[in-house]
Amino acid sequence: MASSLNKPELIVNGKRLDGRDFDELRPLKIEANVLKNAQGSAYLEWGNNRVLAAVYGPKEAMPRHTADSTKAVVKCRYSMAPFSGLGEHGRTGPNRRATEISKVTKEVFENVIFLNEFPGSEIDIFIEILQSDGGTRAAGITAAAVALANAGIKMRDLVYAVSAGRIGEHVVLDVDMIEDNYSDADMPMAISPKSNDVLLLQMDGGLDKDQLKQAMNMVVEAGKSISKAQRDALKAIYENR
Amino acid sequence: MRQFVTPGEELPKDTRRNEYVMLQNGKAYSNILGFYDSDKKDVIPLEGMWKPRIGDNVIGVVEKPTKPGLYNVVLTEFVQGLIITSKFDSGPIFEANDIIEATVASVERKRLAILERPRKLALGQTLYVKPVRIPRIIGKSETMANQIARLTGSRIIIGRNGIIWINGGNTELAIKAIKTVESEAHTSGLTERIKSMLEAEAPVENR
Repeated sequence: MASSLNKPELIVNGKRLDGRDFDELRPLKIEANVLKNAQGSAYLEWGNNRVLAAVYGPKEAMPRHTADSTKAVVKCRYSMAPFSGLGEHGRTGPNRRATEISKVTKEVFENVIFLNEFPGSEIDIFIEILQSDGGTRAAGITAAAVALANAGIKMRDLVYAVSAGRIGEHVVLDVDMIEDNYSDADMPMAISPKSNDVLLLQMDGGLDKDQLKQAMNMVVEAGKSISKAQRDALKAIYENR
Repeated sequence: MRQFVTPGEELPKDTRRNEYVMLQNGKAYSNILGFYDSDKKDVIPLEGMWKPRIGDNVIGVVEKPTKPGLYNVVLTEFVQGLIITSKFDSGPIFEANDIIEATVASVERKRLAILERPRKLALGQTLYVKPVRIPRIIGKSETMANQIARLTGSRIIIGRNGIIWINGGNTELAIKAIKTVESEAHTSGLTERIKSMLEAEAPVENR
């Protein structure tokens, strides 16, 4: 596990361990409408992350007491498959970490879904991490946004998420597992690209004011290509027919 | 020209306002996955839910009656139908799992549709399709539905909630045609293609 004693050199010759530049994303591939039984679904490959997201609803809220007669409730379950990580992660069932990520993901989507269209109903979002390599909550949100659009749920925007971090004095984009474990800061962000509203911002470690600004600019800049990948995945469902 | 749009994608300013178009800072945005028709200047959804509107023709399955004179009808996962027969001296009586056709008389709390003029559909088959594709299956002034019914010899009743009832004639071919329309609703020249498909496969005596 992460320890400052055996910290590896994360930047070699101005490049990161996997040969990326500081502001370079890992290769991203999204496919929408992959599950027949779900109303909307998406499969995402982001570097070594493999994520499957599925959406059901709006349907009658169960159990009944969770229903809100003025708006729809969003329920989200983020879970890591038992085979997703190296040892420590991936015991089945919700744990402290999965509960937290489910909660923040739910709150991201509560901001963009037109909840008052379907009072008394629930919208279920399931995010399953099949293989993890750092930044899975960002990958999960990116995949779930595509699944929600695929399900035909009215949304203000197609959210994307990506994490930024800091290694020494360098601000880097899209940190992977080893960088996440040994870096000095890790900051996943979810953004609504239409207005660049920040819907999620969590941070481990620390960034100073200039570094935070630089990280945010990197995220917004990279978001253009993430958004394009999301929209292309949705359009590909119909264009290939 | 048709162009796909996704939630949050900017639309031309002269887009017709409908429930799938939202305005923000003087700009128009789509809020659904669909396509933008530049001739009609309209956003047409490709995915989505059915919302009950007064006058919609629907098909549903009657649930086990719990109160005399009241029948709950399953229309979609979200929308429940209700038939009130006690107003009449001798209303029609339904049993559980009857398929009925009815018209929406009023909508309460967006998810309870009060139904009127219920009619039992005996025999036949029901087919579930995506509710947003129903307008395409009906077609402009019902051309598509009439064409499928005429060329297959089937009786077809279309419910706006995504349930289609088919009886008689070449049912298999009619289902195939409807499924094709459903999956290719976004393409142009569909009526002609369905016509040639049906004419190639339907026996002549059915026409």
